[in-house]
Amino acid sequence: MGPDQGSDDGAPPPNWGVAFDLGLRLGISVILGVGGGLLLDNWLHTSPIFTLIGMVLGIGAAMYTIWDVAKQSMRR
Amino acid sequence: MVHVEIRAEELFAIGPLIVTNSMVGALLASAILLFAARWFTRRSGIVPSRAQSIIELPIEFLAGIVRGTGGTRWRQFAPLVLAIFLFVLTANWLSLLPGVGTIGFAEEVEGKKVIVPFVRAAAADLNFTLGLALISFVSFVAFGLRANGLRGYLKELLVAEPAYMTPLLTPIHLISELSRVISLSMRLFGNVFAGEVLLATMLALTTATIFILPLAFVIPGVFIGLELLFGLVQALVFALLSMTYITLAIAEHREHGSDEHPSGESPEQGAAPAHGAA
Repeated sequence: MGPDQGSDDGAPPPNWGVAFDLGLRLGISVILGVGGGLLLDNWLHTSPIFTLIGMVLGIGAAMYTIWDVAKQSMRR
Repeated sequence: MVHVEIRAEELFAIGPLIVTNSMVGALLASAILLFAARWFTRRSGIVPSRAQSIIELPIEFLAGIVRGTGGTRWRQFAPLVLAIFLFVLTANWLSLLPGVGTIGFAEEVEGKKVIVPFVRAAAADLNFTLGLALISFVSFVAFGLRANGLRGYLKELLVAEPAYMTPLLTPIHLISELSRVISLSMRLFGNVFAGEVLLATMLALTTATIFILPLAFVIPGVFIGLELLFGLVQALVFALLSMTYITLAIAEHREHGSDEHPSGESPEQGAAPAHGAA
């Protein structure tokens, strides 16, 4: 699948847009996980179980984001 | 005294629709783009005039990037990416015009008289940036669906590689997807809102030095110049990230197809239907 990996008209520019995105997405992933956990705990009165689960998932999502971006970059 | 509220201020209401000053900013940017497009399509020629060249310059610049990184299907999403870029750029630069954010009606807030501007930078309102981010999100989901098919897309989103990891990895994947929308919207909002606050602060500070004329004009001038640059960069980042997400949504399918079938043209497994977008 070569043709779609770059341009026929010139060298593909570096994918720096993803780098702009990565830093913010790491923080947001953790905030989303912890925030979702806090909401669930408040709703179900189970504090702090879902907050902890949300935190683990949020940190996991942040790590997944790094892995995903690295994977995509290496494929390019 | 000029003040900047984090929330867009209400100007008037049409029935249940509350019209805020950031909505006026967004509508003005749309109107400018519509008139420019109408003027441009009527007067453009094969040999461009000077004005036409100036208008074509940013479009050709971004079109070159989209052509370079967008893969073979760049023509499908180039109009969307260019429209997002021009809209955000116009909205950002509109906010730097004299009168925008400074002319309004006086209102008393906590005993102090403040100006509620008639027009405010559209991107200094989270509703605007979130709306744009949602358009971008829906677009890359739609392009992913078109390339992957519904089954293939859901499989990609919800089923992890070792199947027993699915209960753990699916919520992680969903959080990661959702973080794209929030990161897109918060970045644009944060930068533009911070620019508004910075300009208001600088104007307030230099008002005190009005008798030292060079300072009163030079300092706000420097920051307005910087805001011109930031407005361009933020519009570019928003448009390029939208393009990157769309490209990845299409490329994921191709790579999966090429993993399973070296030709990559005819995935025969039911989970990954054929290319929807030729």
